Amino acid sequence: MGEKQLVPEMDFQVLTQLQKTEEPISIPDLAEKAGVDQSKASAVCLYRADLGEIEVQENVESEWKLGKKAKALPGKSLPERDIIEALNKMGGNAEIPKVAETTGLENKVIGQSLRWLEQKKWAQKDGKTLKLLPNGQSALSNQYDDEKLIKYLIEHGNATNPDLEAQGINIKTACDLLNGRNFIEEKTRKTRIVCLTPKGRELVNQGLEVRQELNQLTTEMLRSGEWRNATFRPYDVTVPGDPVYSGKDHPLVSIFDQTRRVFVELGFEETESPFVESSFWDFDALFQPQDHPARDMQDTFYIKRPNTCRLPDGNLVDNIGRVHENGGDTGSIGWRYLWDKEQAKKPVLRTHTTAASVRALASNPKPPRKVFCIGPVFRRETVDYKHLPVFHQVEGIIIDEKATFANLLGVLSAFYKKMGFDRFDFRPAFFPYTEPSVEIFVWSEKKKDWIEMGGAGIFRPEVTEPLGCTTPVLAWGLGLERLAMFRYELANITHLYRARINWLKETPLCR
Amino acid sequence: MPVVSISLDTLLSRIKTEIPRDDLAKKLRQLGCDVEGYATVKRFKCSSCDNIMEITETENPPVVCDQCGADYKVNPDLLVFLNDHSVIRMELLAVRPDMFDPGGLARTLRGYLGEETHPGYELHSGPYSVTVDPALSQKENFRPNIACAIIRNMSFTEDTLRAIMKLQENLHWALGRDRKRASIGVYDLDKLEGTDFQYRAVANDEIKFTPLGYNLNKDSDKLSPKEILDKHPKGVQYKRLLEEFPKYPLLNDAKGTILSMPPIINGEISRVTPNSRDLFIDITGTDERLVNKTLNVFVTSVAELASGVKIEQVEIRYPNSKTSTPDFTSQKVKVSPSHAERILGIDLDKKKVKDYLERMGHKVEEDDSDELTVFVPPYRNDILHPIDLVEDVAIAYGYHNFPLSLVPTPTVGKQLKDQEYFALCRKSLTGLGLFEVLTLILSSEEAQYDKLQLPRDNDHVIIDNPISVEQTMIRRRLLPGLLDTFAANADQELPQQIFEVGYISQVDEKCETGSRELSRLAGAIIGPKVNYSGIRSICEALLREFGATIKTVPTENPAFIPGRVAMVHAILNGQEMVVGIIGEVHPQVLESFKLVYPVSAFEIQLSPLVLPQN
Repeated sequence: MGEKQLVPEMDFQVLTQLQKTEEPISIPDLAEKAGVDQSKASAVCLYRADLGEIEVQENVESEWKLGKKAKALPGKSLPERDIIEALNKMGGNAEIPKVAETTGLENKVIGQSLRWLEQKKWAQKDGKTLKLLPNGQSALSNQYDDEKLIKYLIEHGNATNPDLEAQGINIKTACDLLNGRNFIEEKTRKTRIVCLTPKGRELVNQGLEVRQELNQLTTEMLRSGEWRNATFRPYDVTVPGDPVYSGKDHPLVSIFDQTRRVFVELGFEETESPFVESSFWDFDALFQPQDHPARDMQDTFYIKRPNTCRLPDGNLVDNIGRVHENGGDTGSIGWRYLWDKEQAKKPVLRTHTTAASVRALASNPKPPRKVFCIGPVFRRETVDYKHLPVFHQVEGIIIDEKATFANLLGVLSAFYKKMGFDRFDFRPAFFPYTEPSVEIFVWSEKKKDWIEMGGAGIFRPEVTEPLGCTTPVLAWGLGLERLAMFRYELANITHLYRARINWLKETPLCR
Repeated sequence: MPVVSISLDTLLSRIKTEIPRDDLAKKLRQLGCDVEGYATVKRFKCSSCDNIMEITETENPPVVCDQCGADYKVNPDLLVFLNDHSVIRMELLAVRPDMFDPGGLARTLRGYLGEETHPGYELHSGPYSVTVDPALSQKENFRPNIACAIIRNMSFTEDTLRAIMKLQENLHWALGRDRKRASIGVYDLDKLEGTDFQYRAVANDEIKFTPLGYNLNKDSDKLSPKEILDKHPKGVQYKRLLEEFPKYPLLNDAKGTILSMPPIINGEISRVTPNSRDLFIDITGTDERLVNKTLNVFVTSVAELASGVKIEQVEIRYPNSKTSTPDFTSQKVKVSPSHAERILGIDLDKKKVKDYLERMGHKVEEDDSDELTVFVPPYRNDILHPIDLVEDVAIAYGYHNFPLSLVPTPTVGKQLKDQEYFALCRKSLTGLGLFEVLTLILSSEEAQYDKLQLPRDNDHVIIDNPISVEQTMIRRRLLPGLLDTFAANADQELPQQIFEVGYISQVDEKCETGSRELSRLAGAIIGPKVNYSGIRSICEALLREFGATIKTVPTENPAFIPGRVAMVHAILNGQEMVVGIIGEVHPQVLESFKLVYPVSAFEIQLSPLVLPQN
């Protein structure tokens, strides 16, 4: 028999308690019996485990519960199931209000279900009508794993993995299907069961004695030098801390900033112009005929208040009108209709940042100039996962005696290279204000397809000459939300504007 | 943009060169076609009207005929499945209507592949004429122009019938602006009598005829123009194009039989059937050049689709002039190869430019001058200026072959001063642990005023044609967007600290556009222990970064709790100015935004802080 062992107080409590408890015991139970703090008991156990005196067994258990959004579930089934059952009853397709009536679901719920109906290929929206697809037809007699899981949870409150396996539910499939819907929640519980090893038992049997230990280093100890005689209680340094996050710029703003940096590096000066804009600058100055479909109330937001804009002074307005009517002095035949000055005064929400470019050009057409603008533009689109009525563009122009179409393709590829893309494609396109015109595509390795990023071209003489510019003007407008969706792998564009705080927190600054 | 399905068999049978599938899509893209991909479509025929309909693999068979309206749920036997058909699907390129159909597309490809250039179409003269009523040129009846042609020896196949019907529909969309500027009518010439036709204006109850789809033998199926607008599906659909005019346009043959009431509906009597051999075609519209071009596109595509047809001219007798249509005289444009070289930045000479333009279907003549004379094919409607031919050179050269170079002239880059200040705001607030959010610039009076308990003012920008009740105006302040963001994050950990830097808009008659945009910054915190002093510290820290000190002056504002709200004053360079508001948000406002924890917030105007003081 050796002499008594000196151990810290906490270790004394834990080891003595373990000696009394013959059977393996969980750490919470042990802590309670020993009358010590759980985290401290845990720290002691792990430390002593390293010394081979305590055996620690870890059990991880998943527990499934209904998630926060599950309250919104109308019944025991998912709304998309109610919808396909209703569709089936109604002969395979029906208008959405009819579906709402038959299912008793709110219109809002039906709207939210469209995405899932589409993802499961159960039904498809075509105008106001929902159509049952073959997949939906076969799903009628076949519950998917996600539905089985929800049903089980509604009936039983919670479930462990073995519970679900016993029901024949594939947990991974179910989770994949429910991803992002917040209908279920997984809690993992880690429990540690501990007992003395033979070595530990021997140690305890030798007899233990408490050794005084210190928790916190203090100023007094430092001043007096007392720390030299102290021992510090060890921590469990493997225990995770509470997560903290650095405050961050919005990810889309990071893209704006990067874009700005790239163009400044390429020698561009930044400009801005109002987004409540006159039709004159948004359309007429860009040789967009007044009956062009893009100018329709269907596609463009018009403004009720203020109801008019002032047109620029001097000959500019008349010159532009003539270019529309017969080409003016530009050598063009024009669009051949009666141009109406009043229409040009109508305020709109600008449909492209090209309005900023053409304003910059009009204010100073003297080469050489390189100008860019980053800002919001507006299109009258219904909100869905790909479209918003507002998005941002980076617009640029180069006014230069020597500017060529090859330079245009060169500057666009320089931009996308700096933004991290290495494969792009240029294809002929049409815009009323540029010629030649081009559309830019970048390669998505994930989609294995080309994604359209924006349009570009050389301003037509019908645009530049009335503004007093006789040099070539290279111009482009590129969508930035699209870049963000690409970079952050977003499935839904609305995430950018009704952001989840955890997404903002967790999106790393480094991409 | 509408998507068109081009039949692969029809297209490839008109090209000599063997092109593998992938290569075909690539070549079409190089020509500017927005190719979506290959697909198999199912083709159905309506046995009631011989209409041919196609559906893609994901679509259900039609339940009604899109031409005659036959209901296949009532009469399932009327719908006959024909076959599966391989197609290439692409979005229409609105400016190239000559590439809307397999015939015209094949013609472009043959040129691009070097098989042929500038195909000619033989024109025959004939006895037919159309006299135009001067009343149609008067502003109150405005549809003055007509162009006509006769196509003889037509032999329809299921493919050509389908292609021609589709072409007509797509030309209405692209050139006709949904029939407003131009509309097309096709008739069986054998059913028409005489050779002197009339295009005239009639009062809306002056005459009756049987419109397409109605029974010729039933007296009650004869309708007046007004009744057509009220009752016939096409009449109802296009009513807006005519109803404001006192007289409507009408086309009739020498015996007075009515061919059509443009741009609404044809008469049943001259309906085209798969057995029709000779066709009469008219384009009516509001611009002479456009009706002529539309006719050229249509007639030449039909000639490409149905080989062996004979095109016959029709004399159009306007009140003061005479002309014969179709008119295939080429538009003549001078192109300077050196100009093209300078614009495009590639090595070009006369010979190369000539070659490229010929591959795009133009006829090119060379002489001793520096310029080339280009004869544009009659079916091209997009050449307004020589620059349009420069683009054709670029397309024939291939966008993918261009060198990528930068403009050689150096310039100095510079960002907007405003952006520097925005960056400063972001640096300060993210350093304090706040997260930046972006919210939509579009908002509503409800969010901007009512929910904040603020009176509606008269200086916000209102949208005339909003798309939803939530987006009826340009935002006047940022705070509602932040409160909405909290509402969307009700399930997230607290506290939450967010801010937004962005523009608001305000009516201002002094400004050119009637309103001006101002830069704002707003910050807000939500959480169980959130209060005034915390947000004030943040606002103070921010102003400090601008070199300003904060002063908060008690005020009243219905959006905030009385006694816990202040005006934010900034003292900068010894000058004191009001920049914004700060406080604890009123519980009624929190309730309106469905928030259940206290929020404190501030919103300030950035411009006074960044503008030079005077």
